[in-house]
Amino acid sequence: MSEPAPRKIVLKGRAVIGGVAEGEALVSDRPLMGWGMVNDKMGYTVEKGHPLYEVPFKGKVLVFPGMRGSGGFIMYGRTRAFDTHPAAFVYTRGNSVMYLASMNAKVPTITDLDGDPVELIDTGDWVRVDGDKGIVEVTKKR
Amino acid sequence: MQLNDEEKRILDGAQGYMAQKCMKFLVAYGEAAGAERLVDINGTVDIHPGSLSWVAGEFPITQEEIEELARKGERFKVPTYGNKPVNPGLIIDGWETCGTRPNNDPEYHKRRMQSIKPLIQMGMVPTLSCDYYLVGTFWPTKGQHCSWGESSAIPWCNAVLGARTNFDGCFQAAYLGKIPYHDLHVPERRLATILVESESVLKSDMEYDLFGWAVGEFCGMEVPTLVGVGSPRTNQLVKMNSALCTGGQVRMYHIVGVTPEAPTLEATRRGAKWAKQTVIGKKELRAVYDLLNTAKTDDVDFVYLGCPHYSIEEVQRVARLLEGKKCRIATWVMTNPATYQLAEMMGYRDIIETAGASLLSGTCACELRGEYPPAQVFATDAAKQAYYIKGHAHPKELGVCYGTTEDCVRAAVTGKWQGEWREA
Repeated sequence: MSEPAPRKIVLKGRAVIGGVAEGEALVSDRPLMGWGMVNDKMGYTVEKGHPLYEVPFKGKVLVFPGMRGSGGFIMYGRTRAFDTHPAAFVYTRGNSVMYLASMNAKVPTITDLDGDPVELIDTGDWVRVDGDKGIVEVTKKR
Repeated sequence: MQLNDEEKRILDGAQGYMAQKCMKFLVAYGEAAGAERLVDINGTVDIHPGSLSWVAGEFPITQEEIEELARKGERFKVPTYGNKPVNPGLIIDGWETCGTRPNNDPEYHKRRMQSIKPLIQMGMVPTLSCDYYLVGTFWPTKGQHCSWGESSAIPWCNAVLGARTNFDGCFQAAYLGKIPYHDLHVPERRLATILVESESVLKSDMEYDLFGWAVGEFCGMEVPTLVGVGSPRTNQLVKMNSALCTGGQVRMYHIVGVTPEAPTLEATRRGAKWAKQTVIGKKELRAVYDLLNTAKTDDVDFVYLGCPHYSIEEVQRVARLLEGKKCRIATWVMTNPATYQLAEMMGYRDIIETAGASLLSGTCACELRGEYPPAQVFATDAAKQAYYIKGHAHPKELGVCYGTTEDCVRAAVTGKWQGEWREA
């Protein structure tokens, strides 16, 4: 008996930054905070009690609902300078600071999707982000 | 994005290299934001000295380039205010008394101040503060398009003044006098989807601070309409705005009968009904208070006041509380440079320094990235500073006491925390 084909989900959204990248999903159901709450050199959040506390996001497709707090969220983009940046960003809803962070990280970014990525994608799923077409392809882990 | 003829010419380099680079940045940002066009800024801009080289993605602007522009006599197109210097923060006034390196080094101070000069030569008003709007005196009026870049300040522009800004204050906007037209520039985007009712009229500054956090957490990045809060004073709005953009990212809100775009409840709502609504009361405020209070001991070593930078009324209040007393522990009272001058004229600097505290301006304990008096337990009267300082201290465990200004001054004088709201 052959294994059943892994389940796939395709989401369409608005491309913020173009390019194509893929990687394992790292999903947060809570907003992310910058400034003192992100260590851009280490590439993880240092917000105590956050589900992604000290979990490195380098090379992952970082999936989250949005940001909260300071404009220091731009440090998520600054991670590029320390080579700790995610492979791509997928966020439910963006704002200007998040767009600027994506521009600085220089990684494919998609938002305003036809389904909530935080609900549909789980940590560990394999995700391909096509920022040219605005398409997110999710291969479910199980 | 659709550019007009003038904008196309700038993009093609007709107005020189810097204008072209700034336009390339605005176009890239506008496309990332899904904006269809740029809008002329008829309000104001703020910029953080020290942030210019790394906010701009593919189009960074260097210190040398800014110096060159200043030498050539170039000017910002629109009224531009200086936010706090960053990367890292800088104490503008009172640094001689701070007792921490490198800010107590005259050479360091001179060098950093020198690096801000070209921006001032180009016309940036050296308000050098997160709450420059409290002293800048040149407020945008209702409906004007702005480009502000400070989380605690954005709701002042949008909600309090009824002017329009996203979170994007930058050199490029000041230089070209343009910014992408999207989100909060668009009238419909300014309407509320969430209704938040305060269970009782808010009275103290701390209640407004805690309420702001609770609303921010509930709303995320959405626009709420607030009812039942009462008539906030200036300090209370500043505190609430700061907490709205710490617990959440509320860049715009309405208070019916108070803020300029809220003549009636119905006028503030987007669509036929609220997407969600809630009531926030004592229980919710208490939950935020408990979240912020993490110290396991009552022995405080450092008191930080002034987040956002204290207004003259707050400096006055602290000076009166400290008059004739002595601080047992390191105590910083942070304001903006303009208010520092007022405090000096009114004798408050002398009173604060005689009590053994420092009156400083232009930065905060968080922005100084760990440069503050040695501390195991930190006390403050601002939700924003209380929460973020734990991240800035990471991986070191820093205990935090959060409470009223009076609680903090009492801790400064006694070295012990006796928070008014603390469980017996």
